[in-house]
Amino acid sequence: MPHPDDERFRAEVRGWLGSALTGEFAGLIGKGGPGREHEFVEERMAWERRLGADGWIGIGWPESDGGRGLRWQQQVIFHEEYARAGAPARVGHIGEQLLGPTLLMFGTARHKARFLPGILAGTELWCQGYSEPGAGSDLAAVRTRADLHDGAWHVNGQKVWTSLAQFADWCFVVARTDPSSQRHRGLSYLLVPMHQAGIEIRPIMQLTGTSEFNEVFFDDARAAAEDVVGEPGDGWRVAMGTLAVERGVSTFGQQMGFEREFDAVLEQARALGSIADPDIAARITDAWIGLQVLRYTARALLGAPAGTTPGTEANVVKLLWAPWHQRLGELAVDVAGPDATVVGPGYDLSDAQRLFLFTRADTIYGGSNEIQRNLIAERQLGLPKG
Amino acid sequence: MPQAIGAETPEQTALRESVRELLARGPGDSLWFRLAGQMGLAALAVPESAGGAGAGLAEVAVVVEELGRALVPVPYLSTALAAAVLGEGDERAAATFLPALVSGAGTAALALHGDVRCTAGRLDGVADHVLDGGGAGTLLVRVGTEVHVARATDADVTRSETLDQTRGQASVRFRQVPAVRTGLAADRVEQLAQVLLAVESVGGAEHCLAATVAYLKIREQFGRPIGSFQALKHRCADLAAEVASAGATARAAVAAAGGADPATAELPVLAPLAKRYCAEVFLHVAAEMIQLHGGIGFTWEHEAHRYFKRAKSTQLLYGTPAELRRVIGTRAGLTG
Repeated sequence: MPHPDDERFRAEVRGWLGSALTGEFAGLIGKGGPGREHEFVEERMAWERRLGADGWIGIGWPESDGGRGLRWQQQVIFHEEYARAGAPARVGHIGEQLLGPTLLMFGTARHKARFLPGILAGTELWCQGYSEPGAGSDLAAVRTRADLHDGAWHVNGQKVWTSLAQFADWCFVVARTDPSSQRHRGLSYLLVPMHQAGIEIRPIMQLTGTSEFNEVFFDDARAAAEDVVGEPGDGWRVAMGTLAVERGVSTFGQQMGFEREFDAVLEQARALGSIADPDIAARITDAWIGLQVLRYTARALLGAPAGTTPGTEANVVKLLWAPWHQRLGELAVDVAGPDATVVGPGYDLSDAQRLFLFTRADTIYGGSNEIQRNLIAERQLGLPKG
Repeated sequence: MPQAIGAETPEQTALRESVRELLARGPGDSLWFRLAGQMGLAALAVPESAGGAGAGLAEVAVVVEELGRALVPVPYLSTALAAAVLGEGDERAAATFLPALVSGAGTAALALHGDVRCTAGRLDGVADHVLDGGGAGTLLVRVGTEVHVARATDADVTRSETLDQTRGQASVRFRQVPAVRTGLAADRVEQLAQVLLAVESVGGAEHCLAATVAYLKIREQFGRPIGSFQALKHRCADLAAEVASAGATARAAVAAAGGADPATAELPVLAPLAKRYCAEVFLHVAAEMIQLHGGIGFTWEHEAHRYFKRAKSTQLLYGTPAELRRVIGTRAGLTG
């Protein structure tokens, strides 16, 4: 049963979005997000600051740390309404959803005082420096080095698949600080400023023809000696803490996004007449059924109180939504038929083509589905390690 | 311990545990007597004024899920559903037919498939695939858009030999059989049956997964437990995700049946959706149970085939996957 406070809160969120997504921000509706992170970046950075100014960033963080201390259900409502309104994809989500909670868990008072206000105000953007060419699913194989001398960390190496690096002010980097160490020992979690001579960013052109990911090269880049989160050498534990908070309320905004995408595919099938094809009609119904199942599953699994469950709920949900999303992308182009084989000038993709292509990333990023399966099999089902 | 379908009340948890305890003692001729007669579970969803427990479909669902898990051949689903339907329907029908179901002295069968007409209170026609029809004294019969109730002894009941030997069926011929209208819409009764079949499938699927995972931990080949092979672990992880999603969907359907949750889809869409999805998952898990057990899983002696057959039967009764897809597409306003 919905709590009356929650309904009031929903009305507040709706009201705010309705008034804020006007004027200079009206053109941002539906902009950004997977496959289109390059769109309207300056405007979306301004939108991030607007969110911050009106207190909509870090709403679940404790009030003592500058948040609003809102309950889980209310955070879900915010994400649902945000997605329902078609508000633009965030540029500050990596700071808000990954680094912020990590600092709340592991950061010093100085870290929190220095970094949380910029995230909450939407004025400082973050990117994540985990993956490397030789450390994808096997994150412990990190080779980027950091050495402490002359009062600073000197970072050398390469990160890859770094979203929004070209717009970020800071990067949280997992680097090897003990050169003699192996695997997950001897790693440290460093906060590295992006605007410095020792950092070079090269965009990666994806199979969509667009670039939302980058390679980041560190050539004696500097980080302040005190900008290590957790003890030096304890970076693995801190990084795993970040991954654990990734299981978040933002999933519910994502669900709303899926509904919008499904509705667009259905509308196309009607407009183009392909819904009259029994095979297309069957696949549309199957996609809708899958969407309902996803919704019930996310609500049931991620709505359970923390500590009462095996902790693999987010893995289960990912294992379900990513292939569903890929099938929706396949359906989207099949609905259009041969016309989906032609793109606009300069490889400009339609929504259907973008969905078809970009969803191939869904089963890779955030832990490939093969890694999700390992985690479910070992942690939830208790099957022995190979 | 397999995961229960959802967040449940302490009373529901206690009910689940008592049913498990009873079923752990194994099958036996007296199981129905203990379940219905002593524990009064057939009348769970019957109002207290009519001698029932005054609970609801959610409680019936708890029992159905446990019976599905243990795959016990008792006519509980049909009987409890018939009792619930009679309890909320016409008083005359209830007065005549309910007492035997409440006491556990009699059982009911669902004759929702076939062609039966009613003229001046008498039924004529044939119903087939009558669920739990073999030994039932009471028949719940679809007549057009309505549901009537009749005595099995007044009709010609022919027991069928079934693919799934754990759930009986019969075909029934009606010739001028006296019947009473229950006052309930046939569609609603069918939807409630679909919800219960979904829940039952979840119980079965959870068991198949748990038994398979347990086997993979002890069965050794090439000098190690076969559950350590990634090819098998990944399949089990996929099954675990499917089973979790089926449980969540069935739980949403139970909530919709009780009208308890405004956030879920309406019952006319969600009942066929849950039944279709959960039966599909059950069939997949049961098929994988056979495969992952290897040769032993193909034997008559092993339990896997009983779950596999139950899953397929559930999938084909009360709407095949293709029929239900059309129903869902239409009712959700997507197609047709």
